[in-house]
Amino acid sequence: MKVLSISPERCTGCMRCELACAYMQSGAYQPAKSVIRVAPLEMHTSYAPFTCFQCDEGWCMTACPVDAIAISAVGAKIVSDDQCVGCKLCTIACPYGTIFYDEDTHKATKCDLCGGDPACVEACPTQAIEWVEGDAADWLGEFAARRAGTDLTGLAAVE
Amino acid sequence: MAGKRHVILGSGTAGLNAIRTLRQLGDDGPIVLVSAEAPYSRMVLPYYLARRITEPHVTTATGRQLDEWGVERQIGRRAEGLDTQAAKLRLDNGEDVAYDDLLIATGSSALRPPIPGAEHARCFNFWTLDDAKGVSKTISPDAHVVMVGAGFISFTILNGILERAGRLTIVEVAPRILPRMIDDAGAALVTDWLIERGVTIRAGAEITRIAEQGQGLRLTFAEGDSIDADLVLMATGIRPNLGWLDGSGIETNQGILVDEYLRSNVDNVYAAGDVAEGRNRVTGAREVHAIEPTAMEHGRIAAANMAGKKIAYPGSLLMNIVSAAGLDMASFGSWDDDGAEVIAAQAPARRAYRKYLFRGGRMVGAILIESAGETWSGNDVGMLKGLVQSGVDLSAWKSHLAERPFEIKKPYLATGTTARLLPETIIGQPSPAM
Ligand SMILES: Cc1cc2nc3c(=O)[nH]c(=O)nc-3n(C[C@H](O)[C@H](O)[C@H](O)COP(=O)(O)OP(=O)(O)OC[C@H]3O[C@@H](n4cnc5c(N)ncnc54)[C@H](O)[C@@H]3O)c2cc1C
Repeated sequence: MKVLSISPERCTGCMRCELACAYMQSGAYQPAKSVIRVAPLEMHTSYAPFTCFQCDEGWCMTACPVDAIAISAVGAKIVSDDQCVGCKLCTIACPYGTIFYDEDTHKATKCDLCGGDPACVEACPTQAIEWVEGDAADWLGEFAARRAGTDLTGLAAVE
Repeated sequence: MAGKRHVILGSGTAGLNAIRTLRQLGDDGPIVLVSAEAPYSRMVLPYYLARRITEPHVTTATGRQLDEWGVERQIGRRAEGLDTQAAKLRLDNGEDVAYDDLLIATGSSALRPPIPGAEHARCFNFWTLDDAKGVSKTISPDAHVVMVGAGFISFTILNGILERAGRLTIVEVAPRILPRMIDDAGAALVTDWLIERGVTIRAGAEITRIAEQGQGLRLTFAEGDSIDADLVLMATGIRPNLGWLDGSGIETNQGILVDEYLRSNVDNVYAAGDVAEGRNRVTGAREVHAIEPTAMEHGRIAAANMAGKKIAYPGSLLMNIVSAAGLDMASFGSWDDDGAEVIAAQAPARRAYRKYLFRGGRMVGAILIESAGETWSGNDVGMLKGLVQSGVDLSAWKSHLAERPFEIKKPYLATGTTARLLPETIIGQPSPAM
């Protein structure tokens, strides 16, 4: 199975992935609709994109009371708008915070891997997001931990 | 050799998840489903009331689906007794149903408060599909609805009432709303929000009498004054459906006591969902968690064990989310742990509130409140669940959270929460499509 592999050290924080994703999700360049989110780290000097891992459990999928979430041909957990009632249960079941509620459509929204041709990958100018064979992993953990020093000690300096 | 004969009692969340899991795991034993009601999801009834969905949408398994799973069924039948020696269920038509193993997933029922007049036809519970239909038929655009009880269930139907009725008054006997979902500070915020949106809230008030008044009802308070209502909704608590087990020898407390395999004190009798009292993942204590995710997880774990896999359950995590008139509120785990170390903060402009509870370095509970427009611009709702679920050590991050309580993404990422969570599955293997 192919996964979205993320190399945070390559991310420049340009946010093009968010715009491309928002457009795929909603047809509008509205970052709020993006389901990939660029996190600022290290006092906003490093960045890292974060999105659904298409995890083995599929916490969103197993929690859904009306089976509105299915697995697509490329292994994405996908929300069926016809079935989703907008109860938000998936958003508290997902322990990664990568499924959202859309206030306009009253539906849950999440990464669907763009049907196998992820727009974020194409939009990223530095290959920080790649679409490769492999398993999902904690792409950001070590990177964030290494940069945490500044966040943890920098506070005193700014305050 | 044919597999064991599984009897599943109850076709709600726990029962249906069990049936599906048995088949997903390749168990081809006969399955008999006995249930008082046809399969549907209670928790989507609020969306039926709000007219976002129609009645067929609440159905969770059609006859066709049950046929595909090869499920023999007795729908509309109630279990009235259990003989664990003979391994037989006694039904309300006098018939016996024999089992090799049994899953009790009878859920819970709504209580009616012992108020004189509470049985009037314009007083409704909102627990079953029939209740929901009754309310939906009776409610009208100019109706004044009085909701008795300001708990989580009341809040799930609040939006539907605001959409379909003229006016809403909430009466709660406790000193404040949502006493079992959020804390005092959170409740104060939600109360203000609702009052600003035209909802009347009367907390710390007891209704002593309900009587017919013209076309509607008059509710009299202990203080002596009264209000008139066109329709009264009662959501004053629920009780696990286990009275029919009296004399069966099945051990119960608040619910049926189950071990980590969702097994009762009788080896071939399992229990799951609202009716079961199982392990709390955070505290380790046995509790009834009458929520959908617990029913789903219980049902799947019980089924895995009935299918002969030995799958232990780490316990259920208390979690709730509800939106009232555009304000989101969520809570996780031991959000009311008096002995915990607390970090709490408000951002009044956004109506945002956060509360994190710690035991040592571990986040044991959390509350999040935020206006709905803001909530989903971040990843915080799920990340809080992940922090409580994984139990990562946040010791190094507590001072950061105290300074920047709305910045949970960094501690989440830097503590490797993702790495802790990725290998976890509920029944020990990747979930197939539902
Ligand atoms: C309006 C409403 C909103 C809710 N919203 C949420 C929410 O947002 N989040 C959340 O987590 N939870 C919510 N819940 C709670 C959630 O629906 C329950 O926790 C869940 O349904 C429990 O599943 P269960 O399988 O244990 O029981 P149920 O789903 O109640 O199923 C019990 C089954 O047993 C049958 N039965 C009962 N007694 C007998 C008997 N003696 N013999 C035969 N059959 C019997 C019933 O007919 C039913 O089929 C809500 C509930 C309601 C009513």
